[in-house]
Amino acid sequence: MQHKSIMSQIGPLIMLAAGLAFVFGAVASLDLGSFRRMGSGAFPLLVGGLLSFLAAIGLVQNLRNPMNTKKGDPIAVVGVVGGVASFAFLTPFFGVLPATAIAVFATGSAIPGFRWPFRIALAVGVAIGVWLIFVRGLGMPFVAIKGF
Amino acid sequence: MELLSNLALGFNTATSASNLFYCFAGVFLGTFIGVLPGVGPLAAVAMLLPVSFYLEPTTALVMLAGVYYGAEYGGSIASILLNIPGTPSSSVTCIDGYPMAQQGRAGIALFATSVASFFGGVFGVIVMVLLAPRLAEFALLFQPAEYFSVMVLGLIAASIVSSSGVLRGLMMVCLGILLGTIGVDVNSGDARFTAGIPELRDGVSLVVVAMGLFGISEVMVSLRGATQSYAGQSVRGRDIFPTRAEWRKSFLPALRGSAIGSFFGTLPGTGQTVASFVGYALEKKISRNKAQFGNGAIEGVVVPESANNAAAQTAFIPTLTLGIPGSTTMALMLGALMIHGITPGPRLISDHPDLFWGLVVSFLFGNFFLLVLNIPLIGLWVRLLRVPHYYLYPTVIMMICVGVYGISNSLTDVWATLAFGLIGYFLRLFHFEPAPMLIGFVLGPMMEEFFRRAMLLSRGDPMVFLERPGSAALLGIGALLLCATALPLKSILQRLMPRT
Repeated sequence: MQHKSIMSQIGPLIMLAAGLAFVFGAVASLDLGSFRRMGSGAFPLLVGGLLSFLAAIGLVQNLRNPMNTKKGDPIAVVGVVGGVASFAFLTPFFGVLPATAIAVFATGSAIPGFRWPFRIALAVGVAIGVWLIFVRGLGMPFVAIKGF
Repeated sequence: MELLSNLALGFNTATSASNLFYCFAGVFLGTFIGVLPGVGPLAAVAMLLPVSFYLEPTTALVMLAGVYYGAEYGGSIASILLNIPGTPSSSVTCIDGYPMAQQGRAGIALFATSVASFFGGVFGVIVMVLLAPRLAEFALLFQPAEYFSVMVLGLIAASIVSSSGVLRGLMMVCLGILLGTIGVDVNSGDARFTAGIPELRDGVSLVVVAMGLFGISEVMVSLRGATQSYAGQSVRGRDIFPTRAEWRKSFLPALRGSAIGSFFGTLPGTGQTVASFVGYALEKKISRNKAQFGNGAIEGVVVPESANNAAAQTAFIPTLTLGIPGSTTMALMLGALMIHGITPGPRLISDHPDLFWGLVVSFLFGNFFLLVLNIPLIGLWVRLLRVPHYYLYPTVIMMICVGVYGISNSLTDVWATLAFGLIGYFLRLFHFEPAPMLIGFVLGPMMEEFFRRAMLLSRGDPMVFLERPGSAALLGIGALLLCATALPLKSILQRLMPRT
């Protein structure tokens, strides 16, 4: 019960922190202006204040009636992060197509029962698809394969 | 006469080779994506947004609109064959569509869905042709205070329909508005909340936010369940035609569904899901055939499908004429227009008549493509459901990465998309639905502009929002909507539709 109560407060707490960050950012580093001629910080100050207020209501509501948080799936997160990160890391070194193939393979590794021959086939297929659609079809100025 | 010349202009624009091609491609891709359970029109439009930057604005919007209503139609296929709604709005179709499939009438249900969608779509287009120019003329009377208030109303409506509850919906809207303030302020030139990062001076990219929140985080949620594929029953070509009695039973319900859908589509924040639920509930109330509902009544398939397709068309009315997106998908469309340098609003029809009327006529072509494409391809969509989903998700991730990278050849954008994906994923874990955040993000900068202008014109008097009757009425409606959330709407709906 204690754990559930703490977990359910994390969401509104994040919102409160975000709201306050914008409020303090606006007050500390931006011009608030006047009512008539509002400065660049006035609107973020108002909306940040509103968000903080709503988050405070959420906190009180959760104290009375804690909400279950959904269970995350770390392997899925690692799979997707691994895929996107591989693409972003490898593109400057090898070009878009090899990075795509490796990223597809990496993301596919997180799927249970997706055997490696099929993963390789999908990786090659998607790389060819990317070349056909984005490079040939839309003429995007990519370095498809570095050195070619 | 003026209407005819406008339609002729639209016809000229819509029948250009590229517009016809992209309309067809959009409808086909949309249906393809919509068939797959879990990937709805929002993710489909988000994924294809970067592609649209390489097209002319009209062509881009024609394609994205085709994707949108194609995905809406595609969603009904999984509903009927598997009892798994491909999109939220097609969940009502499950109620009678799936029993029809169990009775061996899947082909008839799919055929009826195609025809009803076409009917609803065309009805919605007619409403759009008649209503949009009038609404735009009326909106020319709006001053900044009214614009601000209409945006507040749209954002309240978006929060209310959020499945995570109105309070969380409002928080997400505020967070979206705040994200929209990042970057250089157009009035003063001040850099706001950029933390010294030069890439942030232009603000956070809409594509990055949309792809992260709806593409990456969606895949994170669904990836581990990707081993499943669905063994739907096969459908033979000769089994798809309804009988004459079924045709007769379907006509008036399709008309009622289209009218209800057209109405709800124009209201910001309600959209197709509410339209199809209300259409179904009303049809069940007035039908002489009540007992058949829930057991495979053809009207139970025709009404929600005609309603949601009509709503999909009329949702463009507030988006294009007021600049107020009725749904998250419409917010993306709005964003796409703004990226092309076109500001939606009352002047859009007069300033860009080729775009507006070309889009309207392309809807007719798109709906026609849906009809002729889907009747012969019903078997293909059924087979598509059997393909294991583990081929799908890694492909989606790559389309997102390459699409985002392709916009400005920036890997920083790819990293930012990943960051928004993680934010979206964790927010979902804490029951914060990301859809209202995107609407807030798109409307935020415009809202701030109108707020500041209204305050300037009123010499700093905030009462201007209540003293102008139009603005006060809009804010009043917003307040009423917020109060209405205190009502036990769930139990009212359950009383209306006890068996669903």
